[in-house]
Amino acid sequence: MTDVSKPLIEAKNFSLRVPVITAKESGLMRNPLQLVGDFYFSRKVRPKANLLEDVSFMQQPGERLGLIGANGAGKSTLLRVLAGIYAPSSGKLEVNGSAKGLFDISLGMHPDATGLENIYLRGLQMGLGLKAIRSLIPDVMAFSELGEHIGKQLATYSTGMRLRLAIAVSTMINPDILLLDEWIGAGDERFNAKVKERMMGLVDGSRGLVLATHNVGLMKTFCTHGMVLDRGRLAFYGTLSDAQKFYSSEILNKKTN
Amino acid sequence: MSFIYLSYFSFVLRYRRTSLGPLWILVGPSLFIFFIGLLFAEIGTAQPEVFIPHLAVGLITWTMIGGVIVASATVFKRSRPQILQGTLSLERIVAVEVTTTLLSFMHQLPIVLIIFLIYGIGLNWIALESFLGLGLLVANGVWVSYVFGILGTRYRDLVEIFNALMRLAFLATPIIWMPGEGMRGGVMAAALIYNPFYHFVEVIRAPLLGQSPALLSWEVVFGFTAAGFLAAWFLKKRYARLVPFWL
Repeated sequence: MTDVSKPLIEAKNFSLRVPVITAKESGLMRNPLQLVGDFYFSRKVRPKANLLEDVSFMQQPGERLGLIGANGAGKSTLLRVLAGIYAPSSGKLEVNGSAKGLFDISLGMHPDATGLENIYLRGLQMGLGLKAIRSLIPDVMAFSELGEHIGKQLATYSTGMRLRLAIAVSTMINPDILLLDEWIGAGDERFNAKVKERMMGLVDGSRGLVLATHNVGLMKTFCTHGMVLDRGRLAFYGTLSDAQKFYSSEILNKKTN
Repeated sequence: MSFIYLSYFSFVLRYRRTSLGPLWILVGPSLFIFFIGLLFAEIGTAQPEVFIPHLAVGLITWTMIGGVIVASATVFKRSRPQILQGTLSLERIVAVEVTTTLLSFMHQLPIVLIIFLIYGIGLNWIALESFLGLGLLVANGVWVSYVFGILGTRYRDLVEIFNALMRLAFLATPIIWMPGEGMRGGVMAAALIYNPFYHFVEVIRAPLLGQSPALLSWEVVFGFTAAGFLAAWFLKKRYARLVPFWL
């Protein structure tokens, strides 16, 4: 299904426009007839927010893309579009292969379930089968260093233990394109080194990476290419050093002027 | 099929650290049936061997119907992190939700079994029709969760409206009363055929009590199923992509 020669991501003039809904309009009681109105007139009347506008780029296999931009430029939104969470409202976006994100690592953990059950719970949510999860358990156990605590309820864990399990479980995925919104860090130094090693393995195992971070050093370590986003528009796409130069000269300088 | 395991988890984890575990869901209905049965036996308006089985099947069927409807308005809101992470699709969330409710329903069936044994109610071939009824009820649970899940995400009032109305609907549906059995259905009995919940309860209850449901009941249930899935299809096409923004 995944053609190796094809570009990983092919985006042609795609936009993400979303009708704006104010908190007032979420109430039905204020104006019950609104429901009817919403159904018939939604397309014409509502103002739209342009979250991403006219984005075109092509990510080739092996390219590791860093997203550069100020807060609110659309980095996380773009990642979510690539992960298939937000659907583009116009234009074309083709993602060749599985794109999965590590956005919220402690997602879907249940405090009343044991560590082991949480591994299953998360694995199932990520779409893994029971067999696949079972085969990953030794690895998760080794990485999280929980030992016998794995049979205890998550609520009894310390913050560090919980985080270790969360990271171990979140990194069970093995996608073609890895999407990262900020780097995953974890308190103590020794463990941080381990996390870094694991993340490197994950990046190496994937055919492409899209990373959004404000950490310039990190981006230099991992990314080959850079995309500069400015208020929902693609301002630059090219090698990482060019992108970083463009960002500091064109975007940052303009803002200070 | 992973949604079945996920349902199992959400079902079991709900009762984690309780002493009775999932057996707790037997306690509420049992007490309710016992005391309502006792009360009506005292009033002497119905024969217990007719009324109690009617009450038992009606009550656990209603628990499923009402449960699905009220929960539907918040089904996507409760799974906000999973939706925003992209791990669970709307369809899978609905599948987990409906399967979990079905698990609770099946967990309550021993109550019915015990009551049928106590009152010596035998099952005949007609009882098999209730499988069709249950199947349709589950199918309706799917579209209800999907449709009201989307609407409830957009309009936060929906869950409160459902909460308020379902209590009335419970009283308007013959569960703690019987139509035309001297149980004084009154105004409600006359309007019964316009109450869709009555038909949904009937397609499960009537066969178990040895009677085929009226043709009208099947028609209403099939009609709702078709119309509901049509609505779900429409909403999916037009609004499903907006759900992550509304959350």
